[in-house]
Amino acid sequence: MSKVGLIVSREWNERVRKKSFIVTTLLTPLLMVGMIALVAWLTSRGASGVKNIVVIDHSGFVVEKLENHPKIVYHPASEDMDAEALKRNRQDDTWGVLIVGANILQNSSDVELYSFESSTIEVESIVANDIERIVEERKLDAYEIADVHRILDEIETEIQIRAFTIDEEGAQSSTSSILSYAVSYVFGFLMYMFVLIYGSQVMMGVIEEKNNKVLEVMVSSVRPMELMMGKIFGVAAVAVTQFSLWVIIAVGLGKVALDMFVPDDVMASAASISADPVAMAQTTSEMTRVLSVITTPGYVLSLVGGFLVFFVGGYLLYAAMFAAVGSAVDNASDSAQFQNVVTIPIIVALVVMFGAMSDPDGALAVWFSMIPFTSPIVMMARLPYGVPFWEVALSIVLLYATFVVMVWLAGKIYRVGILMHGKKPTFKELYKWMTYKY
Amino acid sequence: MNPILRVEHVSKQFGAHKALDDVSLEIPRGCVYGLLGPNGAGKTTLIRIINRITAPDSGAVWFDGHPLAPEDVVRIGYLPEERGLYKDMKVGEQAIYFARLKGLSRREAVSRLRWWFKRLNIEGWWNKRVSELSKGMAQKVQFVVTVLHQPELLIFDEPFSGFDPVNANLLKGEMLALRDQGSTIIFSTHNMASVEEVCDHITLINRSRNILTGRLEDIRREHGSNVYEVRFVGDSEQLQQRLSDVAATINLTAGEGDTTLRFRLHSDVALRGVVNLINESVDIRSLSEVIPSMNEIFINKVSEG
Repeated sequence: MSKVGLIVSREWNERVRKKSFIVTTLLTPLLMVGMIALVAWLTSRGASGVKNIVVIDHSGFVVEKLENHPKIVYHPASEDMDAEALKRNRQDDTWGVLIVGANILQNSSDVELYSFESSTIEVESIVANDIERIVEERKLDAYEIADVHRILDEIETEIQIRAFTIDEEGAQSSTSSILSYAVSYVFGFLMYMFVLIYGSQVMMGVIEEKNNKVLEVMVSSVRPMELMMGKIFGVAAVAVTQFSLWVIIAVGLGKVALDMFVPDDVMASAASISADPVAMAQTTSEMTRVLSVITTPGYVLSLVGGFLVFFVGGYLLYAAMFAAVGSAVDNASDSAQFQNVVTIPIIVALVVMFGAMSDPDGALAVWFSMIPFTSPIVMMARLPYGVPFWEVALSIVLLYATFVVMVWLAGKIYRVGILMHGKKPTFKELYKWMTYKY
Repeated sequence: MNPILRVEHVSKQFGAHKALDDVSLEIPRGCVYGLLGPNGAGKTTLIRIINRITAPDSGAVWFDGHPLAPEDVVRIGYLPEERGLYKDMKVGEQAIYFARLKGLSRREAVSRLRWWFKRLNIEGWWNKRVSELSKGMAQKVQFVVTVLHQPELLIFDEPFSGFDPVNANLLKGEMLALRDQGSTIIFSTHNMASVEEVCDHITLINRSRNILTGRLEDIRREHGSNVYEVRFVGDSEQLQQRLSDVAATINLTAGEGDTTLRFRLHSDVALRGVVNLINESVDIRSLSEVIPSMNEIFINKVSEG
């Protein structure tokens, strides 16, 4: 085995066998699923907590038309109830008191809601909507137009857009915008996390070796460049291992979830339209569309493939910089100022990513998906929407070319830095190191 | 026989600091070669150049008759002063890893390791993590790692620091055994007593330059500054009187039944005539030249420079 190969396999073995790796790899997906389940459970539980609102109606026409909701139940106040007394003495399960003023028709702000618990925008907007509807109806009735309610019912329309994307060959394919948005968010963010987490693992690894003084022994056997590349590739292998395990777990859990929660007939119709873009576009249910897209193996594979290519490129680029930073300092706390230089482009990329998600073909998104330091994250956010092939290819070439240049520069700093101890270097010194003859 | 290593006019500059200035030396095969010098003199830079960790700005290094090449590092073993092992790795696994980096196959590495572990009585450590070992124990492992690939040239930088006397002796024995089996050893240390004990040749580097190089015996003799010691029975006053024209007294110590006088001869005086002078005045028990210790030579040469 080559020396780099030996180093890679040591890095991989040491890291993958660590308890922390096994725990995070297994727990992260479970934790995510657990969080989603928890949110779903809490939401469904919240529905059972009915809010009882006592209504004092001075207008005389609102309370009888208020309709109850699953979460909100209106109770008309009896004649003898006093508003002040109601507000002061909480009845057992009363959530609040709603007072509708007598002039509600003329003055739309003549409504007061007193609650014993903190109010929410949701409750307020439901109550406001209810009263609005009743007041509007009352005003409409005042015009005495015949059949006005039937006419309104008839003209009510809901538009549903069937979206197609025309690719270079002119073929039309139907997409789900919601899905693209979600996938672009998840993948862009995942890229950000992976590059940052694994990049800094490379840095920490270099600092640890430096502190162990093991580097002095190592460099008498292997060239510093081999050592650096071995570490970078070794950590990359760990990242790919973890990502692959997560994909397997996600696909497995996803399949279980689909089987459990989605009725068979919906699945069947999703499967039947996934092969046929026209049929898919005609499907009005967003849910069915999403299902048909995510159960298409080609779509999943192209995204995962794209992710891997851009992740590996982006990771390598940043890992080389992180390795140089790690070699220049004696401990992690000294690395802050150099680390900023490395992390700022990643954060810029993340910010641009959010813009790219809403305007994937805008100038900002296109340019930043070409610049190598931001392209892995920004391009990943654009990919689910469909990107011309030449743009993807150019971005990949630029990314990998920059990586080669960066490794060459980082290697020059690394070979000097790993044997330097004591004082923290300045940027000027780092530049000088690059010019040393070795 | 050609020397295993020849360093020719090597200079190395780091920024404004000149770490090595036109250093030349030649290391014969099968000897223990002392590389001496005060802290910061440039020893570590020279060792790194020999290990190809860094390259000289000018000058050349020849190994076994050819310019030192990348492939030669498998024929060199280096025990740095700053010892380092991966703390989380198990001892056996780690030793195999380093051996494979030096070009050994896994099988070969395992069988040689078993032999060494048995020899040093550390068989029980195979599955221990380095973080569980004491400093001295880790140093033993590091020693094994350094010599495992049977290099022709071994470089030991302060190999005995951190060892108790028993283990230091054990390691010294192993080092000399390796020399007797044909390895050449570069031995860098500040402990001059151990230099006298094990070194055949030395080079003294001070302020980036090679200021003294040669066979240890020759150097000590050359630096013998005409000092002699005579043990005698008789009148010491009279003896000193007699010698006052030819030598300067350094000190006089009275022992049980005899006296010892240490004196430095004036440079143009022959010892033969002086012996007669002494013989006429007292009964000589012994007369010998006082050869300076390596420690004295080191201090003299370094403070001169």
